Amino acid sequence: MKLELRNVSHVYAPGTPFEVEALRGVSLVVEQGEVLGIVGGTGSGKSTLVQHMNLLLTPTSGDVLVDGVDARTLQKSDLRHRVGLVFQFPEAALFAPTVEEDVAFAPRQLGLGEGEVRERVRESLRAVGAGELAARSPFALSGGEKRRAAIAGVLAMKPEVLILDEPTAGLDPATREELLALIVGLRQTGISVVLVSHDLDEVAEVADRVCALQGGRVSAIGTAAEVFYTDPDQAPATVQVASLLRESKPSIGTPVRFEETLRALRSLQGDQGD
Amino acid sequence: MQNPGEGTHSGGSLAVSCQKVSFSYPGSTRPALSDVSFELQTGEYVGVVGPNGGGKSTLVRLLNGLLKPDSGRVLISGHDPATEPFEVRKHLGVLFQNPENGLVAPFVEDDVAFGLENLGVPREEMLGRVAGAIRAVGLAGYERREPDTLSGGEKQRVALAGLLAVEPGILVLDEPTSMLDATGRREVLEHLRALRSKKTVLHVTHHLEELTSADRILVLNGGELTADKTPERLLSDAELLRENRLMLPVLPRLALELGLPPAKLRTPEELAAALLAAAESGTRAR
Repeated sequence: MKLELRNVSHVYAPGTPFEVEALRGVSLVVEQGEVLGIVGGTGSGKSTLVQHMNLLLTPTSGDVLVDGVDARTLQKSDLRHRVGLVFQFPEAALFAPTVEEDVAFAPRQLGLGEGEVRERVRESLRAVGAGELAARSPFALSGGEKRRAAIAGVLAMKPEVLILDEPTAGLDPATREELLALIVGLRQTGISVVLVSHDLDEVAEVADRVCALQGGRVSAIGTAAEVFYTDPDQAPATVQVASLLRESKPSIGTPVRFEETLRALRSLQGDQGD
Repeated sequence: MQNPGEGTHSGGSLAVSCQKVSFSYPGSTRPALSDVSFELQTGEYVGVVGPNGGGKSTLVRLLNGLLKPDSGRVLISGHDPATEPFEVRKHLGVLFQNPENGLVAPFVEDDVAFGLENLGVPREEMLGRVAGAIRAVGLAGYERREPDTLSGGEKQRVALAGLLAVEPGILVLDEPTSMLDATGRREVLEHLRALRSKKTVLHVTHHLEELTSADRILVLNGGELTADKTPERLLSDAELLRENRLMLPVLPRLALELGLPPAKLRTPEELAAALLAAAESGTRAR
């Protein structure tokens, strides 16, 4: 699926003293099978933006297009299982007596047969590395386990686009790595992933392209290297180090990911002839 | 009105004491905490790290009396949270992980004032404290915003302001920066550093880099206290880090892989300078 936002603006509480213009003329495309990172400071409009992608919020002006078709003409229920949104702290919405039942809830709403529902539950729990949690109560899980169970609930709808809003907030580093590996794995199956994160280091690891928001506007969009090297002050640690060295050592290029950066920095040491 | 936390600041007193504390959630086969013992002296800044499910949040809930230990004893400034929760909450304030759950009032300033109202602080004093706390977290101008219209990071700062306004002597912070961007995180951490030695702070986090200047770091894994060390010793113990699913942040990890001392290179500038210096001396040596 190709998902496109054209000149989208959003005003909260219009016509009241509390009016806030959260998005201003945002245009972007989520290409099939890519990981698009959405970055920006607190209150820059990241969450508001992604809630437009499945029309949970409707634009005050502008359009959302799914494969070129105005999303407003599509059935909402259809749109929402094709574009799956995992909220910030999604574990707050877990409700069923077992993890399995919780994950089964959405596919059951799609009117699938019981066999198909079971199969999808098994697959999604396996995808998030939570197969062993199926029979547990969601309330007795740790923060990381709950997070994975909640993501499995959205995956079970087999979305074409998966939107994750701050999926690693509060997760330990090892669990965070596993979740990032899951994102990379999903991309390989052709799903597009939109990753909203304030953690530039993790965006650097998985994003193909990056969209930076500032005050509700797109301040930069492009490949991770293009966006991060234009403003190294708002860049992951890898890019910050490399930018400082590029002036005197241009040969290191524009690495973004950790391993890439490590190779580039090692080549610098290699130049010394050791 | 006297600061409710101040009564505990007499010389070298214990702010927090946990003695052989164990706790299991009902229906769970594995204890969430087993036999955990540690003490915080008044004025100490102590970090808590460890994997998800390690027992960090359970510990926080035992400290303020939301949970009661199955065995062992918790004392907060000499009071038992299991039997005197209201007394304990005058001394100890908690910032919980998910800011969404904590915001209750129609406007930001009311929310920040909520804890003070419960303590019966006079209105004049309350207004001053609320304004000060909102400024301290960098949200001046947000007083009349509705919490629903705030981003996750802004909500987290509102919750922190509410806690700071109460001025408890002991602050327990469960992931206080998990939703903040780099700038917000820096501001909140600076504010926390400014509280050092005035308050006792227990700071739960997944970001080891936030704890490099802590007095000690406790590691909770599988419900057990697996380490109680200074930041330098913990950061340089690769095996201990691995065993407890802890990971070094990007900069020290880069430094380590490049054969440079991770503890001394805390900023991109320092790491870049060290690499350039090494390249220079390498060229000269040739």
